Amino acid sequence: MSNLLRQSSFQEASVPPLAVKATEALRLGDFKQAIDLFKRLVKQEARPEWRDALAEAYAGRARILAAKGMFEEAEIALSKTAAPDGTIQDPLLYVQCLVKRSQLHKAAELAVKYVGNDKVPAAAAPKFAELAAGLWLVAPVPLSPPADQKSEAGKWVEHAAAAQQSLTAWIEGKPPQEIDQLLSRIPLRSAFRALRLILKSLMIAADDPARARQLLDGIPPESAFAPFRLAVEAALPAGPAEPVAMPTSPSKAQQVFAVEVKGLPSAASQSLVQLTKAERSGPGALLSFLASQTGTLPADDVKCACLNLLPQAPHRLRQFESTFGPLSEFDRNRVLALAAEAGNDWGRAERCWTIAAQSIEPAAGTETGLSAGVIYRHLAHLAHEHPEIEGEQTSEFPEIEYLELSLRADPDHLPAVLQLIGLYRTHRQDRDWHRLAEDAAQRFPEESAVLLQAVDSAIARKAYKKAVGFARKLLTLDPINQAARQRMIELHISHACKQIRSKRADLAWKELAEAAEWERPGAPSFLLRINQGLVGRELGQEPDAEARLRQGVELAGGGVAGWFRASLEHALMNASDANAALLRHELTRAQQAAAPTKEGILSIVSAVSGKEASESKRAVGGLIFRIRGWLLKGGSLAWSAAEFHPIAEMFRRVNAYDLLGDYAKLAGRREPEDATWRYYQLVASSKGDPGRLSFGETEELFHIEEAAARRRDFHTVNRIQRFIKGSGPNSAPRRGSRRVSRADLMDFDDDDESLDALSELLAMGLEGTPPDMVKRMIEKLGQRQAVMALVDRIRASPLGAMPEPLLRELAKNIVESVIATNGRPMHE
Amino acid sequence: MNDPFTVLGVGDDAGDDQIKQRYLALVRAFPPDREPERFQAYRAAYEAVRDQRIRLEAKLLRTNDAALSRLKLAVVAPSRPVCGRATKATVTALLLEGIDRACTKVSGSSEL
Repeated sequence: MSNLLRQSSFQEASVPPLAVKATEALRLGDFKQAIDLFKRLVKQEARPEWRDALAEAYAGRARILAAKGMFEEAEIALSKTAAPDGTIQDPLLYVQCLVKRSQLHKAAELAVKYVGNDKVPAAAAPKFAELAAGLWLVAPVPLSPPADQKSEAGKWVEHAAAAQQSLTAWIEGKPPQEIDQLLSRIPLRSAFRALRLILKSLMIAADDPARARQLLDGIPPESAFAPFRLAVEAALPAGPAEPVAMPTSPSKAQQVFAVEVKGLPSAASQSLVQLTKAERSGPGALLSFLASQTGTLPADDVKCACLNLLPQAPHRLRQFESTFGPLSEFDRNRVLALAAEAGNDWGRAERCWTIAAQSIEPAAGTETGLSAGVIYRHLAHLAHEHPEIEGEQTSEFPEIEYLELSLRADPDHLPAVLQLIGLYRTHRQDRDWHRLAEDAAQRFPEESAVLLQAVDSAIARKAYKKAVGFARKLLTLDPINQAARQRMIELHISHACKQIRSKRADLAWKELAEAAEWERPGAPSFLLRINQGLVGRELGQEPDAEARLRQGVELAGGGVAGWFRASLEHALMNASDANAALLRHELTRAQQAAAPTKEGILSIVSAVSGKEASESKRAVGGLIFRIRGWLLKGGSLAWSAAEFHPIAEMFRRVNAYDLLGDYAKLAGRREPEDATWRYYQLVASSKGDPGRLSFGETEELFHIEEAAARRRDFHTVNRIQRFIKGSGPNSAPRRGSRRVSRADLMDFDDDDESLDALSELLAMGLEGTPPDMVKRMIEKLGQRQAVMALVDRIRASPLGAMPEPLLRELAKNIVESVIATNGRPMHE
Repeated sequence: MNDPFTVLGVGDDAGDDQIKQRYLALVRAFPPDREPERFQAYRAAYEAVRDQRIRLEAKLLRTNDAALSRLKLAVVAPSRPVCGRATKATVTALLLEGIDRACTKVSGSSEL
């Protein structure tokens, strides 16, 4: 006994390693492997749990095969799941496979067998019973009388007979009373309910179409009888206020049904067949067919349909004109332009579109004006996409030229106005920008996007009163517009700085008080707090001023980054030394308190990339020197090349070549294969002057450039080219070295790269705005508004003191990147 | 997408107001909670034609099937009452369409 017990417990406890592996494969969905392993196990010992698991693996494999459309293979796999009583694992899938393989009788037989069977999950049982009903009506297999007539299966068999008789009676044109009597044997809870509703609806359709439609509403779109329902619905006559349209094109069976039940002449059915056939043969054949039907079909619609087909079949132009008369110049050129686009002939498309637009007198406000506007906007879009579009050379940029023409034809199109303002700003066409912004503010006085542009324009041309006026108007319309508030705060701070430089701290304080009026409650600006603190201390407003200063520093990220920002603001003010000691002390203390982090260093990079900071090289250089030791420690952080480019640019700008060299050296040790670091080492050792490079170093630089060109890394190629070429006459290369690169350069703008790098930087800084949130913003606001909203968020972050165009470009980059990656993070 | 004018049941020369009224009538007749698929189709069609500039863009820059759809309707839908009977073959074809679609849905919704 004890031996037996021991043996049994041993058997229970010992699971062969093969079984463990097989179970794991099944769990992971590796059904092929699971089938193989369980087959071997069952061969060794036919344990019931292994047999079940094998069946489960076959069912899983069948599901995968069916999803790939391999229904025959799926059917074979499912047939292997049959239990000793003949039931199979997934009858629904089995039916699907049989239907897809047109084995309707077999499918009907199987489906009927599983009606009311517990192998079908309860949730799917009603739909399955209805599917079986449809199948059985199509392929009526003999039904065996059920043992229990009151069971689900029993009732189904009873209703099936009534349903078949009703349908046959209707097809044979039996009188309604007879059909009604048969239908009354199908209860409304039956799987054949949909058929009852359809037949009933057809019988009352002529007298009471509204009631017929109401009955059809009882059949859900996912029902097996749904196409039948739609066919009946489409054939019903429409009441005066009733919508008749079907949202999808009727299938051929639905069209034929309509012809049959309406008793249309066979010619209609024949025309339909011919039309469908011509449609399948392509646009040319369809156009030919339609052109030959002008006598039998409505002539206007035939002409219109043919005109719409012409761009796809321009070779039928002559046939069209001989049938319908000559086309107008506008239509002819429109057709030719669309045909040229289809053939990627952009030059020809541009010519034809231009003639088409010019051929209609563009009178603003009228439909012809709007049409010309549409065409010119389209040309602007094409110019953006295809360099072959050249414009009429009235502007350097054809996109601008066509947008200008579009606004002349249709001046009220707001998106075009905003787009053109954006292009003027990007291409530094300031005079045009200001003119259009001013015009737009008058034309669209209630549009916040336009008013924001007007604020920017007024600030840029130093029309401060106007800027205030536009901003106030904007905030009346949109009280939480963060962008407008931020612009005005920055404007007042800029004025305050001027006052401080003129030793008028009291007036500066007034400016800052006005700036504070633009702050939104609960969203304090770190720049304002810092400046209030600094000016307040100048005026001796202690301890409040220092508290404000510290609050601003914390809002700017705290630590070295925060105190650096405060010191930078102080340096830009060129104020007295009232604050200098405190700032120096705090900056030193912050450096001792915490080691550098990537975020901290990148925040400093962001601070010095602002417009005013860029213009104050000396002040920035002094501050960078003060945190030199702290920055040096940052060299050991694992910087990626993309993160490092803006840092290198900062070091280069302040001549901190020793720091650049240290960073590049440490990074080169970490990633010796990445030539970026060697390049920066050479830049640092030559102090940014290629004339100082040795012959060997110059050759090495060319090798790096050529290698980069080979791997199509045009960012690096471009950077090296700029370094070599952009260093002035005193930096001639060593004698004998190759001055001109052999690399085949693409037209490539290096600005893109720094934007990429800064975008990454921002992605790190904007942890509160993850890509998912950006994606939601895009979904909710659309791409353009999402960019604006993102600009606001970035501006409110410690990285926000960048120049406006750069900020906007970065936000655009982030939004585009999120769209391109469908919401995945950019750094993935 | 199918021709939006045909989906909404308005002519391609209809104005903003007419299109809007027709769309609202359709939404009232087929509210989204009862007929979500229809509502989606009507909504998409409305968005595609609701504004004159959008309609002009569609008319000038894209080929559209409005006239062709009207021609098809002209062939099959003159206003006659429904009094005839369909053949067994047509009914079978309609049922098969439904079975094919329902098969995928029922099978997809089941978890064994």
